[in-house]
Parts: sequence; C-alpha cells; structure tokens
Amino acid sequence: MSEQITKEVFDHLVGLAALQLEMEQAEYLRKQLNNQLKAIAELEAIPLEKDVPISLHGVPYEASLSAPPREDEWKPYPDPAGILAQAPQVVDGYIVVPDIPHTELK
Amino acid sequence: MTDYEAVIGLETHIQLNTVTKVFCSCKADSWFDPPHTNICPVCCGLPGVLPVLNKAVVEKGVLLARAMNAEIRPLSFFDRKNYFYPDLPKGYQISQFDQSLARGGYLDLPIPAAASPDKQAYTRHVTIWKLHIEEDAGKTKVSNQRRLIDFNRCGVPLVEMVTGPDLRTADEAAQYLIRLRQLLRWLGISEADMEKAHLRCDANVSIRVRGETKLNPKTEIKNVNSIDAVREAIAREIERQIREVEAGRHIEAWTLEWDEDSGTLKKMRSKETEADYRYFREPDLLPIRLDEGWQRQILADFPELPLERRARFVEQYNLPEYDADILTSERKLSDYYENTVKSYGGDPKKVSNWLMNDVLRMINDQGLNPQEMQLTPDALAEILKLVDAGTININTGKALLQKVQESGKKPGAIVAEEGLGLVSDDSTIREVCQAVLAESPNEVAAYRAGKVTLIGWFVGGVMKKMRGKADASLARQILEDLLNEKNG
Amino acid sequence: MEICDLNALELARLVRSRQTSAVEVVKSCLERVAQVDGRPGSLEQMPLSDEDKKRVHAFITLTGENALQQAEKVDQMLAAGEDPGVLAGVPFTVKDIFCVQDTLTTAASKILANFTAPYTATPVQRMQDAGAILLGKVNLDEFTYGSSNESSAYQPSPRNPWNTDRVPGGSSGGSAASVAAGEAPLSLGTDTAGSIRQPAAFCGVVGVKPTYGRVSRYGLIAFASSLDCPGPVARDVKDAAAMLGVIAGSDERDATAARLAVPDYLEGIEEGVKGLRIGLSPDYFRITYPDPVSGELLSQPLPEEVARAVTEAAEKLSAMGADIVEGVPMPNTRFGIPAYFVISRVEAASNLHRYDGVKYGLRSEAPTADLKEMYKITRNQGFGPQPKLRILMGMYVSAAQYSEQYYRRALQVRTLIRQDFEAIFDPAGAYRLDALLTPTTPTTAFKMASLYGDSVLMQYADQLTVPANHAGVPGISLPAGLDNEGLPIGIQLLGADYAEKTLFRAARAYEMTTQEEDWRKQKPEVLRGRS
Ligand SMILES: [Zn+2]
Repeated sequence: MSEQITKEVFDHLVGLAALQLEMEQAEYLRKQLNNQLKAIAELEAIPLEKDVPISLHGVPYEASLSAPPREDEWKPYPDPAGILAQAPQVVDGYIVVPDIPHTELK
Repeated sequence: MTDYEAVIGLETHIQLNTVTKVFCSCKADSWFDPPHTNICPVCCGLPGVLPVLNKAVVEKGVLLARAMNAEIRPLSFFDRKNYFYPDLPKGYQISQFDQSLARGGYLDLPIPAAASPDKQAYTRHVTIWKLHIEEDAGKTKVSNQRRLIDFNRCGVPLVEMVTGPDLRTADEAAQYLIRLRQLLRWLGISEADMEKAHLRCDANVSIRVRGETKLNPKTEIKNVNSIDAVREAIAREIERQIREVEAGRHIEAWTLEWDEDSGTLKKMRSKETEADYRYFREPDLLPIRLDEGWQRQILADFPELPLERRARFVEQYNLPEYDADILTSERKLSDYYENTVKSYGGDPKKVSNWLMNDVLRMINDQGLNPQEMQLTPDALAEILKLVDAGTININTGKALLQKVQESGKKPGAIVAEEGLGLVSDDSTIREVCQAVLAESPNEVAAYRAGKVTLIGWFVGGVMKKMRGKADASLARQILEDLLNEKNG
Repeated sequence: MEICDLNALELARLVRSRQTSAVEVVKSCLERVAQVDGRPGSLEQMPLSDEDKKRVHAFITLTGENALQQAEKVDQMLAAGEDPGVLAGVPFTVKDIFCVQDTLTTAASKILANFTAPYTATPVQRMQDAGAILLGKVNLDEFTYGSSNESSAYQPSPRNPWNTDRVPGGSSGGSAASVAAGEAPLSLGTDTAGSIRQPAAFCGVVGVKPTYGRVSRYGLIAFASSLDCPGPVARDVKDAAAMLGVIAGSDERDATAARLAVPDYLEGIEEGVKGLRIGLSPDYFRITYPDPVSGELLSQPLPEEVARAVTEAAEKLSAMGADIVEGVPMPNTRFGIPAYFVISRVEAASNLHRYDGVKYGLRSEAPTADLKEMYKITRNQGFGPQPKLRILMGMYVSAAQYSEQYYRRALQVRTLIRQDFEAIFDPAGAYRLDALLTPTTPTTAFKMASLYGDSVLMQYADQLTVPANHAGVPGISLPAGLDNEGLPIGIQLLGADYAEKTLFRAARAYEMTTQEEDWRKQKPEVLRGRS
C-alpha cells in the first residue's frame, strides 16, 4: 500500500494543527499516521447502502429525553477574575498575546 | 462606453438583543463593561465546559426567518467551525452549517425614487441564501505590537444572514440595510445599531456587462460600520472595478477594508491559507427541535410587518407614501398613530399632520417612547376633538400636547382647570373690546378715518388681554360693531 | 483486613452508624497510599528506581489534608444528627480529567500543568454532595489517549497492582489501580472506547460505562465528545451501582445528559438472573487487527483462558436460571476500531484547539513577536506524542476533501454497529436479550513498554469495548478469575439503552455465585504479605 500521508501532506497538517515538530518526532508520527490509515482503510471496504443514516450519538435522543433549551435568565458568574487569573499574560484586564506580523502584499 | 451593472450580495451579522449569551448565562450586552467582567467558564472555553442553548435565541431567530419568508426547519443542527484565533477561546465557533434554522427566504425591497437611477420608484426582489445562529467571538485590539483580547463579547448570539447576489446598486444595498434595521427593531429582536456592531455588514461586489448573467470574480468589503459607509464603499468599489476592466485588467478576489477616516478602500492582508474550517456536527448540543407547538407559540403574536403596514396605511387611511413611510418607520410610532386614529374617529391625515409635525418632534427632542408617553393616543385624540369642536383653538391645542405629556392629566381637565377654553360669552368679550378701544384713541381715529386694516391689530389686542382664549371671530365682530356704532 | 479494604457501602454504613469515623476511614486510605503508591506522577524526568517499579503510582495530586477536613465535616454532621448522604465518609479518587475547584487539573498533560480549575465537574460534585470524600486526582493517559496509561506526561505512570511490571490499562489506569490497591474504594473514571472497562479488567475491579448521556459530562475535559462517558470504578458490583446512582441524572449544564429519572440501582440487585436472556456472540471471541508491517488484516481467536472465563461465566449464569442464547450475530464489531480512529480523532482535534497558550495552561517561555509562532511552540512543548497524533489524524480525516470518505462513512458505520445492538435487544426481535456477555479485553494486562509506541496495536486493545461507545449502550466489566500468570481476567456485560439496572443484577448474580472461588481470595501483588 502506498504511503498516503507524504512528507508534504504531513507538513501541511502540522501547519493546520498549529504545531511544529522536531524531525525525529515528525517521522515517528508520520509513520504512525500511515499505519492508522491502513486500519482506517477497512472502512472503505464496508458495503454500505446509500441510505444508511449517520449517527451523531449512539443513543437516539427522542424529544422526551432531550433537555429543553435554557430560559433566558442572567446568572452572573461570581468570579470572572479567577478565570482571568489563569491567563499567562494580562494587562489592564486584557489578555495579551503577540501580534500577527503584517506581511506586506505585492 | 460599455454599460456595466454591479452585482452585490450582503453578508450581515445581527446581534440579537437577548438578555443572556447564546450558550451560557452571562448577559449578552457588555458594551459598557470593563474587559473580562462579563465572562464565565463556558464562554471562555475552559476545559470541560459545555454549551447550553438559550431558548430566546431560537425564538428571535424564528421571528426573523418568518419575516424573511424563509422556511423554518423543524430539526436543525449546530456545527463546529474550527480555526485558531486568540479571540475565539475554544478554537472553534459554534455555528450552523448545512442544516441551519431556516432555509430560503426573500425580501421585496422597495427602492424609493430618490434612490433610483432614473428617479422612478421600483421593487428589488432580494433572495436570502443563508440564515443561521452562531456565537460571537471576543474583541481584539492592537497596541504596541501586542494584541489585547477581551472575552466579554464571546458567546453573544448572532444571526448570520446572507443575501443572494441580487442587489444592483450601492443605493439598493443601503436600502436593504435600512429596511433590515427597521425590521429587526420592529420585531424587537435586535437593537440593530451599526455603530455598536449590533448589525454588521460585509459586501461582495462584482460587475458585469449589463445583460450578461454570469458572475465575475468578486471582492469582499469588510469593516464598514454605518449604512452611509456601506453605500459609499460599494459605490467606490464599483467605480474602481469599472476602471480596472476598462483598462483591460482583471478583478482579483481581494478582501478590502473600508477606512472610515480617509473614505477609501484598502486591501487587507491575504489569509495565510485558504481556510478549511473542517465543519462537523457539534456533539455537545442536541438538534433544535422546532415542533409545531413551539413554532405556533413563537409566531402567535407575529406582527404586521413595516412594509405591509406602510401599504395598508396608504390604502386604508389615504395617506401619502411620505406620511406612511415615516409613520411606519418604527412599530411603536405606527401603533401610536393607528390607536390615535381609532380613538379620534376623524380625518386620519389630520392625525398624521399633528403626529409628524408636533408629537414626533416631542418624541425626538425628549427621547420619548411612544408607548410610554403620558400623552396617550386617547389624549391626543381628545385634543383633536376639542379643536374640532371649537372649544380651544389650534394654538391652545398644540400647547396642550406638552402640558398633557408633563402632567399626565386629561386634556379636558387641563382646559377646565386653566380656563383655556375659548370665551364665547358676548358680554365678557365686549368689555375687553371696549377697554382696548378706550386705550387706543389714535388707532380708533385712524380706523374711523378709513384705515380698516387696523381691525386685525385690535383683535390682537383683545386676544393678548384674554391670553388667547377669546373666540377670535366673535371678538372681531364685536370690535367692528363698536367701531362702526360710534361712527354712525 | 484494614478499614481501607472494606467496600464503599460497608464504609458508609459504619460511618453513618458511627461505628467508625470518616476521619478514621480517610486516615486508613492515606496510610495505604503511603505504603503502596510511591512517588506521585510528576513532570520532572527522573529515571525509574527499582523501588519505583514496585509501586502503584496511581496519583498525580493527593489532597490528603483537604480530605481529612472534609471527613471531619462529615463526622460533625453525623454528630449533629444530620445526614451527610449515602456515601458518607467514603473516600474516592478522580481521574485527573475532571475539573475540581481550586485543585490542579492536568489531564496528564504538560499543556495544562499549571491549570487550577475554577469549578467542579458535575459527577464529582454529586459524589461530594452525597458525603463522599475526594482523596485526590489520579493518573491517566495524556488527555485519556491510550490504553496503558504510559502516555501520561506525569511519570512514573501507574503500574498494575497485581504485577507491577504490567500496565494497569488505560486510560483510567490510575482509577483502576487506586481501587485495586485499596487506596480508595471508589474512583470516577471515563470511558470513550473502553477506558473504564479495560483497566478495570486488567486490575481485577468492577468498571461501568453507563449509557451515553446517563452521567453529565460537565467538567470532564473532552476527548471525543460523542463517545465520552463518566462512570464508576469499584471493588464490587453493589458499590458500582450505588456510585452510579449518585452521579447519574440530568444536568442543566449538559444538554446531552438524558432527561430520565435515575432508578434505585440497588433495589432488587440480588434478585438473580432467573428468566434473563443472556447472549454470547462469536464476533466477540476473535480479534481482527492489521499486521503491523503489511497492514494486512489478521484474525485470530482469543486466548483460551480469556474465552474460557466467559463461557464458564455463562454456564454459571445458566445454572442460576438465565437463558443463555448462543450464536448471537454482531457482524459489525470488527469495524469499531477503524470507525473509532476517524470519529474520535475528528472530535479530539477540535477539542484540543483551545490549548493555545492564550488564556490558561502552558504558554511557551520562548520569546516571540508572532502569534502563530507562539501557538506552535506552545503546542509542541505542551502536547505529548499521543495528542499530536490525534490532532494530526483528526485534521487529515476531517479536511473538506476527505470528510465524506472518512468522517461521514464512519458515522454511517456507527449506525451499523448501533443496529447490531438494537437487533439483539429488541424485545420483539429474534434474540430479545437482556444482556450480551463478552470478554472485556482480548488479553490480560500486557507488559509495560510492550505495545507503547505502536499506536495501531494499542488501539486494538479496545476492540471489544469500543462498540458499546459507538452504540451508546451501557457496559460493565467485572473480574472473572485469574490467568495462569495470576493476572485478572475481565468479563463484560452489555445492555440496552439505560438498562444499567439489569446489568448490575446479572453482574451481582455472577459475583455472588463465585464469591467462594479460590481466585477471589487472591490479593494483588502489592498487598501480599499484609494481614
Ligand atoms: Zn459566559
């Protein structure tokens, strides 16, 4: 079976995933992915009638089991400062992150 | 020169005016709140939290869908739209992709003569391509090469509504937004204030030779925050595209940003990669079940819409289009008008005149809510009737508007209390007339010498003495009698 | 036998009747932890000592002092004549994938190393509201991604109390190990593909994967949101039933928690299996897996000892009056893993998007003026290889051009798997089963480091458990003997939606009928030589 996730595809995925990998780990992960794809390939061999519905959850949620939507009532959260306190960098109540550098256009 | 036409589609994001956010119980509006004070674990995407749908968001979405003549799906789904951005705490936006709240829809948009190229009013049929619920992201601002993030706005409920490429001029685009804003306020589902980003608009613009049906590459204009700016930006972009094509160049699918200050369009940084959002069903939420019962409940009080009411006012009350348009600009005002007409029973145009000239000024100057005014439709109708009956004159009637509004008393009661009723008692007026003539021997002489135009001046004197309550025609009659009597 | 070796219901009875105190119970458990657990998992890289290799290492964070304070409160309540709840004074451990207020919540990942949750997960809260006492947070595979617990960023990773050269299973390895070693009678775990049942089987304890939505997921750090189920790990069936009764139920914070009354799982639990129809399926007696080199599918029968444990269990149930139905077809069982490879990765990749160094957890110290750079460095440093693998696979199979081929197809296959179960549990169908009896795992606990690194074979360890996750149906794993190396063998009962009560009844019947068997008297290695 040919390798589905080539180096190029892999690098693209790494970018999409907002990752950057050391070379050795990259090779290991790429090999594992290709192995997994061989297992996944089994799915393609399953004879599926065209109208087989998809299941989003295994259990069906009939209306009687489904929770109704929430009422529109304000319940202020008691400790927003506690949430902000987890942020690595904060200035004047704002969370700070590096900028997105401008790439000049041709 | 070749004749071009523009092809314009608008993508709007409408912030619903619910009390709370779409998936948590934080309040929806935090315009005046300091950063990170209107947040909770859910809207900040803390590990382990789950979204719980706000019922009011669905209800308001259904009202809009109905108003846009869209088909409401009995079962609709949420999906995750995945991308990295620091103001998107979960790294995905909960939105609706292929099975959204509503499907299809249209708006028959009246274009007034003033906004029409040939000064003839017409109607533009605008189709709706997309109408779905989603959550807003936080706010980002840049300072000193750093990005400052505030999550207060995360999870604010939005409806994204996208039109087909059906609009043909910048004015049509502006009219669409004007009518949409009116509709949103009419339905009470959004404050629709563009400056506060309650209503946001991106415009897709392309041009083609008139008569062609194909679609050419389009540009997308973002970051426009007033209706005037949308009109302006689109007009500029159409001009630019025509110039480009005329010069033999191609239009590229750019994203343009409107710079309010300079009134110019700037090209935005191109996206690093064309986004693949990898949409998939949100497993943390069950589908929205809009069974018949719930739909019926939501739509039970569905109002007559502004354009329908406008047409009816013209038809039923014989109002000029101009009056009908203003009186249906806002739902409460139009209800006020109609209630006054009913209570009054007289000429609807007269009600319109009073409302548009005087009451509307009071409303606007004093920032009043027509529904909560002390000057109720019944009170206004009563004033009109008092004038009609000659109990008070027009000026007294107009002065009464403010008095009723301030005191909350009935117009008739104020008239009685302050003695504002017209004095039509012959002897009272006769006494005053005599006094006025006695005080002005020179003018009497002049009159008698033939300067009969002075009669108006004498009437004015009487009115002044009686603080306007005299029946003016009676006063004139008596004055003439007195002046001629002595003469004869 | 020490206090900490008693089961939960017995402890609650003793505490509530004030024959012992909650403080005594907690002290006994803490003592056991001190004796057998060794050093807790930590991010520091230290080579394993010989001593380390003999210890359980279930914990990441031990909250002993807090536990003693809570125990005092329980005792005070009892002294004041108040009722602290059905699990009064019962210590429990929590898989460190649940948020607990003011407590470190790591998901066994470096990327959350400094994260202190500002809120408590619903099932943990319900345990505490019932008077149970949190002893600490226990180890797991990083973000639950694994079947051996070795992928934890917190090392040493847990070891199997029956044989510390073996894995405890995963991902709820710390949960199963802590319960098996007598550190706590109960633990809260999660099961996405077998992550409660498999370690329960490996460690010789009872593990329950409830029906999807039976227990709220609020506060559970998500892996595959459409499959994740919180559930109990306990030493016996009644304890597991009691715990499920406490944690189950609808939750206004979880829209997918079913609105369905929670039955009294203990009521009638000892009524036996007379009249119950229990099935055996040949499709659960072989495993299919791809050859690591060629990728070719290989199929082989289960090890004889494992198969025999199941058939013997069936005979015992039959002897007690159950109708055993053989030859029940579950033809789509073998597609569970490939479908799982797709569905779980798509959901996991999305669920891991939020760990970006912006608002909590790790942010790389490396100075950078570029946001994307910050994301990449942070995520590279923070995630171990297992999360990275899941993210990358999720990206691949959900990319627009592949989503039909993989994701949609996998969701259709999930339907087929679901239909297998619907057919056998259908009260009007050909089989009309009350439960399906299967092995829990293809093998007993494997040696540490024997599979780790091969992500495909590791995943196939879940082959017999994952179908229940796809279908949403409940399952329970219970100990059914020891293999010739003295390692526990687990058997599994699967039931229809929300039929946990039936499963408990059947499981308890098996437990009662085997109570006097020799293997029940065996103790885990780490407890041997203790009185
Ligand atoms: Zn919130």
